[in-house]
Amino acid sequence: MNTQRPYIFLTKITVFALIISALPLSQTVLEVSPFWLLLFFIYWLTYFPAKGRFFLALLLGVLLDILQGDILGQNALALILSGAFIANVKQSFFVSNLSTQQVYVFIASSIYLGLFLLVHTLIQGFNFSYYLLLAPLSGALFWPLVKLALSKCKHQ
Amino acid sequence: MQFLKLFTPVFIAIFLILSDYKFSYLDSVKQFIAKLISPIYLVVNLPSQLHIWIDEQGATKQALLNQNKQLNSELTRLKGNLQTHNALLLENQKLTKLLGASYQINGQKFILGRVSSVSQSRLKKQIIINKGSNDGLAIGQVVLGAEGVIGQITQITPLYATVLMLTDPTQHVPVKNQRNGIRGISKGLASSQGKLVVNFIEPEFDVVLGDVFLSSAIGSKFPAGYPVGKVTHVEQHTDDPFLHIELTPIQTTEQLEFVLIGSNN
Repeated sequence: MNTQRPYIFLTKITVFALIISALPLSQTVLEVSPFWLLLFFIYWLTYFPAKGRFFLALLLGVLLDILQGDILGQNALALILSGAFIANVKQSFFVSNLSTQQVYVFIASSIYLGLFLLVHTLIQGFNFSYYLLLAPLSGALFWPLVKLALSKCKHQ
Repeated sequence: MQFLKLFTPVFIAIFLILSDYKFSYLDSVKQFIAKLISPIYLVVNLPSQLHIWIDEQGATKQALLNQNKQLNSELTRLKGNLQTHNALLLENQKLTKLLGASYQINGQKFILGRVSSVSQSRLKKQIIINKGSNDGLAIGQVVLGAEGVIGQITQITPLYATVLMLTDPTQHVPVKNQRNGIRGISKGLASSQGKLVVNFIEPEFDVVLGDVFLSSAIGSKFPAGYPVGKVTHVEQHTDDPFLHIELTPIQTTEQLEFVLIGSNN
C-alpha cells in the first residue's frame, strides 16, 4: 500500500470536512458537534510532513468562513492558532496513546472555540448559546473515529 | 523565521476579520470563492433533492387531483381577499394624493424559491435557498414565507442564496405593534432557539401577551406590514429602562418548504 501525497490527501480531506460541516443538523446538535475541519487538519498535521502548514490553515479557515457565512478570518485565525498548538506538541502527540491524544485534541478544540468566540464577542457582543461550550468535548470523543477513518484512507 | 511562519498568517487572518467587519473591499473575493465552493451544497442537498424527486414521481393521480381541488379553492379564497386589498390600495393612493404625503406603498415582484437546507454556522441563523444570481437575486433582498417575514439575503452564488433569518442576533428589524402602533427594534436571541426580543419600548407603553408585531418600513429594507412575531413574554427589569419583550416568530422554519423573495420594482 502506498501512502498518499500530503497535499492531495489534504485536498481530499478538506472537501470531505467541508461537506460534513455543511450537512443539515438541528441547531443544538450543530452547536455540540465537533470542529470537523480542525480534527481532520490535526490528523494531517501529525501524520504528514509538509511545508506552509499555517498558510494552509489560513486558506482552509477562509473556505469554512465563506461556506458558513461567518466573519471572514474567524475560523482561519482559530484554525491557525490551534494548529500551532498541535504542531508544538507534534512529537509527543505522535507517540501518545489514544486517550492522551484525546486530551490534546480537547485542548486544541478549546483554543479553537476560545478564539472563535473571542472574535464573535468583540464584534457582535457576548451573545451565544452555551451548548457551544460542549464542542471541544465532542471533538475529543470523536477523535478515535476520525483517526481510524483517516488512517484507512491514508493508504491507497 | 519560525516567528514569521506563524505570525504572517495570523496577521493576515486579523486583517481579514477587520476588513470584513469594517469595510467591504473583500466582498467580490468572497463572492468569487463562494461560487467556487457552491458545489458542496449541491452534494449536501443531493439526498433531499432525490427524496423530493422520488416523492413527486410516486404521487398517485387521485392524490394530485385532490391537491388540485384544494389549491383551486384556496386560490378562489385568496382572489376574494385580493379584491378587498386592491380596493384598499386604491383608496390609500387617493388619500395619499389628497394629503400630499410622500409615503407610497411599493409595488413588489416576488420570485418563488425552495429551502435547500439550514446553513451550518454555529453562530448565525441562516437558511439556504435554491435560487441565486442566475435567477436575478441580489444581496439585501427580503425573503418572506406564507405567514410572515423570514429574513434577508446575505450571500449569493449562481445557484444558491444564503438568507440571514430574523432570529439571528445580528439582524435588527424595525417593528411596530399591530394593535396600537408602538415601535421598537427586534433582534434574535442567541441563547434561546428561534426567539426574538424587541428593544427600546418604555415601560409606560401598552404591550400585552399575544400582541403581534409587524415589520415597519422606517429605516429598514424590510417592507412594512408583514408579521414578524407574537409576544410571548413581557417583563420589566429593575435595572433596565426599557421593557423586556420576547416574541415567537410568526413564520417558523420547521416544515418551511417554499419562500418568496421580494424585489422592489
